Amino acid sequence: MKLDHFVYHRPGSLAEASELLRSLGDAAHFIAGGTDLLPDLKRGRERACHLVSLTGIDELRAIRLDDGRLQVGALASLAEVHESPAVRRAFPALAEAAGVLGGVQIRNQGTLGGNFCRAVPCADTPPICLAGGAEVVLSDGREERVVPAAEFFTGPRQTVLAPGEVMTALVVPPQPAGSGACYRRFTLRGGLALSVASVAARVVLDGEAIREARIVLGAVAPVPLPVAACGGLLAGQCPDDDLFGRAGEIAAREAQPISDIRGSAEYRRELVAVLTRRALAEAVRRARGDGRYDWEVQR
Amino acid sequence: MSGNELLVRITVNGTEHVLGVRPNTTLLQVLRNDLDLTGTKKGCEMGDCGACTVLLDGRPVNSCLVLAVQADGSEVLTVEGLGGEAGLHALQKAFVKHGALQCGYCTSGMLMSARALIERSPEPTEREIREALGGNLCRCGTYPRLIEAIRDWKRFEDVELDTRPLDARERDQERDLDVVSHGVTRYDAPDKVSGRARYTADLKLPGMVYGKILTSPIPHGIIRRIDVGRARALPGVLAVITGQDVPDTWYGVSPARYDEQILARDRVRHVGDEVAAVAAIDEQTALEALRLIDVEYEELPAVFDPFEAMKPDAPQIHPENRRYEGNINTLVEWDFGDVDAAFAEADHVRRQRFVGNRTYQSPLEPHASLARWEHHGNRVTLWSATQVPHYVHQMVSRTLGIPMGDIRVIRPAIGGGFGGKAETTPLDFCAVLLSKITGRPVMMEYSREEMFLHFRGRHKQYMDLEVAVKKDGTILGVKSEIVLDGGAYTSFGVITAYYAGSMIPTLYKVPNYRYKGVRVYTNLPASGAFRGHGVPQPRFAFESMMDMLAEDLGLDPFEIRRRNAMDPDYRTCNALDISSCEFRATLDQAEAKSEWKAKKGRLPRGRGIGVGCGGFVSGAGYPIYRSDFPHSNAVIRVHEDATGVSLHIAAAEIGQGSDTVLTQIAAEELGIPYEQVWLVDCDTVLSPLDLGSYSSRVTLMAGNAVKMAAAEVRRQLFEAAASVLGCDPGGLVARDGRIFIREHPAVGMSWAEAGRLAFSRGGPVVGTGHYRPPKNLGGDFKGGTVGTSPAYSFSTAVCEVTVDEETGYVTVDRFVDFSDAGTVINPVTFHGQVEGAIIMGLGETLLEDTVVGEQGRLVNPNLHDYLIPSIHETPRIHSGAVESFEPRGPFGAKEIGEGSLLPVLGAIANAIYDACGVRITELPITPEKILRALREKREAAGGSR
Repeated sequence: MKLDHFVYHRPGSLAEASELLRSLGDAAHFIAGGTDLLPDLKRGRERACHLVSLTGIDELRAIRLDDGRLQVGALASLAEVHESPAVRRAFPALAEAAGVLGGVQIRNQGTLGGNFCRAVPCADTPPICLAGGAEVVLSDGREERVVPAAEFFTGPRQTVLAPGEVMTALVVPPQPAGSGACYRRFTLRGGLALSVASVAARVVLDGEAIREARIVLGAVAPVPLPVAACGGLLAGQCPDDDLFGRAGEIAAREAQPISDIRGSAEYRRELVAVLTRRALAEAVRRARGDGRYDWEVQR
Repeated sequence: MSGNELLVRITVNGTEHVLGVRPNTTLLQVLRNDLDLTGTKKGCEMGDCGACTVLLDGRPVNSCLVLAVQADGSEVLTVEGLGGEAGLHALQKAFVKHGALQCGYCTSGMLMSARALIERSPEPTEREIREALGGNLCRCGTYPRLIEAIRDWKRFEDVELDTRPLDARERDQERDLDVVSHGVTRYDAPDKVSGRARYTADLKLPGMVYGKILTSPIPHGIIRRIDVGRARALPGVLAVITGQDVPDTWYGVSPARYDEQILARDRVRHVGDEVAAVAAIDEQTALEALRLIDVEYEELPAVFDPFEAMKPDAPQIHPENRRYEGNINTLVEWDFGDVDAAFAEADHVRRQRFVGNRTYQSPLEPHASLARWEHHGNRVTLWSATQVPHYVHQMVSRTLGIPMGDIRVIRPAIGGGFGGKAETTPLDFCAVLLSKITGRPVMMEYSREEMFLHFRGRHKQYMDLEVAVKKDGTILGVKSEIVLDGGAYTSFGVITAYYAGSMIPTLYKVPNYRYKGVRVYTNLPASGAFRGHGVPQPRFAFESMMDMLAEDLGLDPFEIRRRNAMDPDYRTCNALDISSCEFRATLDQAEAKSEWKAKKGRLPRGRGIGVGCGGFVSGAGYPIYRSDFPHSNAVIRVHEDATGVSLHIAAAEIGQGSDTVLTQIAAEELGIPYEQVWLVDCDTVLSPLDLGSYSSRVTLMAGNAVKMAAAEVRRQLFEAAASVLGCDPGGLVARDGRIFIREHPAVGMSWAEAGRLAFSRGGPVVGTGHYRPPKNLGGDFKGGTVGTSPAYSFSTAVCEVTVDEETGYVTVDRFVDFSDAGTVINPVTFHGQVEGAIIMGLGETLLEDTVVGEQGRLVNPNLHDYLIPSIHETPRIHSGAVESFEPRGPFGAKEIGEGSLLPVLGAIANAIYDACGVRITELPITPEKILRALREKREAAGGSR
């Protein structure tokens, strides 16, 4: 499998990059890490006459934490997101999600922005970002706009990005006191495998009771799928296994899975129920300060 | 630099390079093609395997997914730069000493990932190692050894590398062995850890051009017209050939069924069938040329299911030959003993259908062939990534009409085969043909997808098994009916259909046996020979059945196996002669080591333990085509100053360790240190015929040939020495580089001195050896030759699993395996084979299946969706060898590579049943199937309440 010829552009600024892409039209793509785009180009699923590299735009790389507000540059690699002390402090469940995807090599090369903009339904970082109330910062080189992560995805491999528009950063607002979040996914192989189904959960506890809960499903709908009905069920309730089980049943019902080589739609629904239960239970533990992330466990 | 090239500055292994590259060039291509750093391997080109891992500014990346322009201004470290000035890095030495490599194709990627890990964590834990290597696949299943080597790396920091075993023992007094039975480091290890080893696709010749093959996009059709005009006109294209331009002959594997053509002449029979080939100045141009070939097909109805294919109105896939009417490729009907009487007198009969999967060998190295015509243009050299250099030699000669004497086949390093490289490919033929036409060396490779389309993986078998037993578990009779989905061509399949039947009565005593095997053509890529050839699925069925019978009869699974276990010197009902057999010892030791009695039925819910058994031939008793010559042959030549010898043998090292084992056998028999044997790379001009690496034949057959050649050399040295020492040559002993009188060990001379003496007197000191299996093996019935062998291996494996009953996910926690492989020539490569077989078997049981989609197109012809085991799935493994001696084997040895796969599938299935009470009879045992079965079981229980 080989790449067809294309022209490669290395703009030095965002404005230049956007302008280039607009002028080049349909046959042009932005490229960052390229871990998803290049395989698609090689197998002919997509075509490109021009690739416009974003890698030279350094301002898209930074990860910053200001007053609890986390800003992750779109060019930050998934490994950087996974390892970032700022991410681990402000919204560790995002570091968790970024650390399970692909293998080490893919995480070193692939970017957070790519994981969003390629909009693959089974992408691992979007669901937890939706659960955390994140927003996506977009720029057309002249003006910025901010879109809730929940509104960014419009279909499989489709987003609200206008031609020439670039995702510059992900912003995660300060997480409420008493909150805990968790990302759980199911894969057929222990690593280096796509999610068959995944669930992101964030709960906010008020004493013993759940004040607010969000469930977002991955790989079981055309886009990351928030399940509002789960939030409705859980709000005001005291967490227990039975409650989580009912939330799982709702999530399974709301899922819109397809059948493919990784699993039937029916099986995916079953997984959603289980993963919802497990993610909720762990999110509550974390909200109480009892939960653990992989990197906190003894090596 | 042409107009569309970009200038990039990349520092590789400390040296800055300024290069003009096309934008669509990957970092992998720059390293391999422009800088000739071929230690970085091309495995899948899609970021799925990790073979191309390099460090980019210190971090591991897949160089196949990095554009060279993206690496502009970066520092790259490859395996060639790993050791820096110091020679080998401590990690590389740790890999050598721990045997943490087999075929070596994943090795450089593993090393680079490991290097990044130890920079961050100099004393890594097992967990960290698994995480760090999670993006690197190893099809040989070397993961347990990789973990050990990386944990232990620091120990080798300032150590000089030698070949001594890690657990160096003194000489084996009891068995009188100095080299054999010791775990000396692999012969090929230094080249493989340094990136020096050249695999076929790593080779470059002056003027070399590239060939590619156009394949059929439809599953069945008639070629009405091929227009190659536009392709020929493309600048850079040197030749285009179609079925009309190649010899009009049929070829294949078994002479009983030659049903393939080099390129389709009129009919295509599966998606991926080869139609035309081009040679061009580079691969890109060749691929562009393929797109310009215009083929007009008349599509025919196609059939993808063997049962559909057998129906009267099914499309006929080989109408050119009446023997294949009804799409029946092979029919086997055997009836031994009195089966009906046995079933009539049985206390209990159990019948079950089992279904297998279409697994693919998936060696990490793609197939590749390189051909160059030379001399007066009448001789051709073919470098081929093959397990069977001789059969390639013979088949290229026969099919293209070139005398064997004008063909030289060279087998470079091979990145795994597992049966997938055991036959001549269209790459071999087309490379030779295109090189002839163009007058240039032609390199041809399959892409990962093309490998899946060429296939030759495991047959999917539909197995109806019926076993009649007495109350005490004694087997009275077996009926087995198997339908094998053969795909569009025979490949090895006629032999597969026989093996699927012949190897059932070799493990347990089966006095009465009826077998019907039907291999059916379908419009799918052809199935072939895959590790354990035809037997793993029937063995999975039989081992599952043994547990089902044990449960029916209230017996322990070990008890029913012991009751029927094979004994030495036994003739099976299908006339196979078992010689050495320590099957019972493998049962005893596996049972004890696994703590079976404490665990069986006593593990907590969701955890289970299961046993499976198996065994295989130590080399097929007969060659693939009829011939009288010896199966293995060897030449040993003493170097003129006698400080070393060269071993000329054409056996195929494909990662299994045969070069190491054969070198050890030579050293042992000659009485010199292992380091003094120089193995000559497989080359049909330099080495005599060997049938190659299949049917687990190399250790026993090539080993015997080497031993005989060595004995002949030793005899010549003894004669020379005796004349000086004034003694009888028969009273001399050679050991560790010295020749001395057995009765007076102080009286003797150095081995080298004796060698020089022999050379001075009589010229070149050469010994030859050969091996042919015992005559007249097997019964006098059709197919009675398949399954014959000089010796058989036996093994027992116990597996522990955890089943997540909510998701169906199976974690294999532990394996205990004990094998009877005769004398173990090298414990390190021996255990490496067992561990690799367990990991591969785990993949076949739980993960792997090629899925056929619409119109016969494979849904998952890649390592992204066809999942093979990663380091995360690797269980704890204990591999042990029982005391055994095979009189027909060199120093008592027999096979290990294939037999150790056979117990695995059944052991896992039985452990899953023990864990959660569901028996899955259809491979692979996916989480979804388990969950469904659990639900059905719950519903059935609820319904009966």
